[in-house]
Amino acid sequence: MNSTIVSYLSQFEGHKKFISILSEALGFDATYLVAFLVFFLASFIVVNVMALVGGLGTYAERKISADIQMRQGPNRVGPYGLLQFLADGVKMITKEDIIPRNADKLLFTIAPLMALVGVFGSLAVVPFSSGFILTDLNVGVFYLIGVSSLVGVAIFLGGYSSNSKWSMLGGMRGASQIISYEVPVTLSILAIVILAGGLSFSTLVEAQGGMPHQWYILHNPFTFIGFFVFFIGALAETNRAPFDLPEAESELVSGYHTEYTGMRFGFFALAEYIEVFVVCGVAAAAFLGGYKVPFDLGTGDLLVNTLHLPPIIGRNIGQILQVGSFVTKTLVLYYIVIWIRWTFPRLRVDHLMTLCWKYLTPIALFNLVGCAVWLYAFDGQSVWELLSHLGGASSGGH
Amino acid sequence: MITLSSYLMISLALFLSGLVVMISRKNIIAILLGIELILNAAALNFVAYTRFVNDNIEGHIMSLFIIVIAAAEAAVGLGIVIRFFQMRESIHIDDAAQLQS
Amino acid sequence: MFDNILFILSASLTVVGAFSVVLTKNLMHSCVYLLAALFGTAGLYATLGADFLAATQLVVYVGGVVILMLFAVMLTGGDQDKENKFGITKVPSMGNFKTFLAGGVSALVIALVVLRLIANVAKQNPQGELPEFTSSVVAIGTKLVTDHVLAFEISSVLLLGALVGAAVIARPAKRGE
Repeated sequence: MNSTIVSYLSQFEGHKKFISILSEALGFDATYLVAFLVFFLASFIVVNVMALVGGLGTYAERKISADIQMRQGPNRVGPYGLLQFLADGVKMITKEDIIPRNADKLLFTIAPLMALVGVFGSLAVVPFSSGFILTDLNVGVFYLIGVSSLVGVAIFLGGYSSNSKWSMLGGMRGASQIISYEVPVTLSILAIVILAGGLSFSTLVEAQGGMPHQWYILHNPFTFIGFFVFFIGALAETNRAPFDLPEAESELVSGYHTEYTGMRFGFFALAEYIEVFVVCGVAAAAFLGGYKVPFDLGTGDLLVNTLHLPPIIGRNIGQILQVGSFVTKTLVLYYIVIWIRWTFPRLRVDHLMTLCWKYLTPIALFNLVGCAVWLYAFDGQSVWELLSHLGGASSGGH
Repeated sequence: MITLSSYLMISLALFLSGLVVMISRKNIIAILLGIELILNAAALNFVAYTRFVNDNIEGHIMSLFIIVIAAAEAAVGLGIVIRFFQMRESIHIDDAAQLQS
Repeated sequence: MFDNILFILSASLTVVGAFSVVLTKNLMHSCVYLLAALFGTAGLYATLGADFLAATQLVVYVGGVVILMLFAVMLTGGDQDKENKFGITKVPSMGNFKTFLAGGVSALVIALVVLRLIANVAKQNPQGELPEFTSSVVAIGTKLVTDHVLAFEISSVLLLGALVGAAVIARPAKRGE
């Protein structure tokens, strides 16, 4: 039931052999030690890859914005300017670390770390493939919502502790925006949870299929609306334009991280870009079929049967295809997020609250009730299944 | 090893901290913090007992309701605090000595 | 072994957080320490096998209550005047030695009583191996809509009342009232 990276590995012979050899060498049962090491390694890989994704996110943002505004963008460091984010990182590390004299030192120091902890903590349940998921909690969706709200606390504390009016206003806007938009986001995920019948991400993904008409976004009209509610809410929760009021440059200099310099600022920026990736991943997993590959290529059975590969290789190729499918969907959404940022103007703060409480929350509630009624009335079948039944019935009548 | 009494000791520590905060602070928000600590201690006790003594999940349900009530209490309490501050320009508990504004 | 490590980590986070709430003189810091204590409590729930409860704790407290507290601190500001409007010296809002003495003594009394009770419990249940871990989500859902459906409905009414009440209370006063 609780599939993790360890339980995926433990179905191979080599893993068992390795454990038995290690147990003999060390003189005690090494199962837990190996599990710990595998977890450590997997988390290490995920964290580093995500830091890379966050870095490349800044590059992608600049390149895509340049493309939209018909400029060149970064093109000096490395091929096509690809290494620009490394240069930025070096620049941030070597900058002087300034803490304002009247700042609250403790909160000022822990706020960027808290943002990073919240984001990296939420990575634990992101389903990269059916085998490569750090831990498939059976309350995964709930956990992710809870942990990612640490970022809101971090933004608030960062704004408060800087002892600057701009930071203060930015932090306050950030916190109010994040706790408001949590409501429609949670409600629209809840609609999916009702349909799938489980809170873990693997349940959500396994209930969908590889082809687009088996995804939850096209399951019924309510989930179709729900996806857009979720996406708009997620944009607001990650403080992306057109909802980037906490860091509105034209009003608040740079919002809650005005007083931050060097790597502390870098932590905030990194947390923001990784959070966008996580949110896009959740959207892909809940609405767009997640890691599912068309024609059941993901399990590897087809490859094994047609090409007569050994099962282990077939299964591993299937895993790689699944990771590729998930990452492709996520990156397409990531591109859309950046695209939206550079094409839409920023909202006003009262418009933001109006949008959340007067439009998105009622729509999300309507979707929730609609999905529940759909599940009860049509036994959880999608529109396409109903249509095919209808077609079959009418053709049978002739 | 982990026994029921180790959880009870932690819960006791939470409860005592909440009690000291409630009695010694004169700031209404700080008193609300103390109340949150005490409610958490109670919820932790329920879950610990239901895990070790009778292995059902009645205690989980009880703690769930405690969390719900704590959230409602915090919302209303902080609303009262903000209103009180608008009227008296203070959140000192000793200033809340009149029934009428 | 993992259970023990998780237990020790979350227990120390909880206890240190709770004591720091008492000891700090800064209201904002004590909110953050409260956050640490609540996080530790969520970890303790996880060691007790209450996975749904741990996630609920995270969602409700980290995402809701603590941010509300921080908001209230920010909206009411640092109120540090030493006298009230009648000219009587006030106790400082984060307490002084006298109030801490009162709190400490009452805590000591209650601690002695409760420790006596815990000693009884420890005598009756000397061992206490954690049972095998099972998911509690399905069981909680079933219980909530069968055995406890009345409490469930009443709590939803309570939440609605709290929502409306908080909005009405905190609304700014009308002009010319």
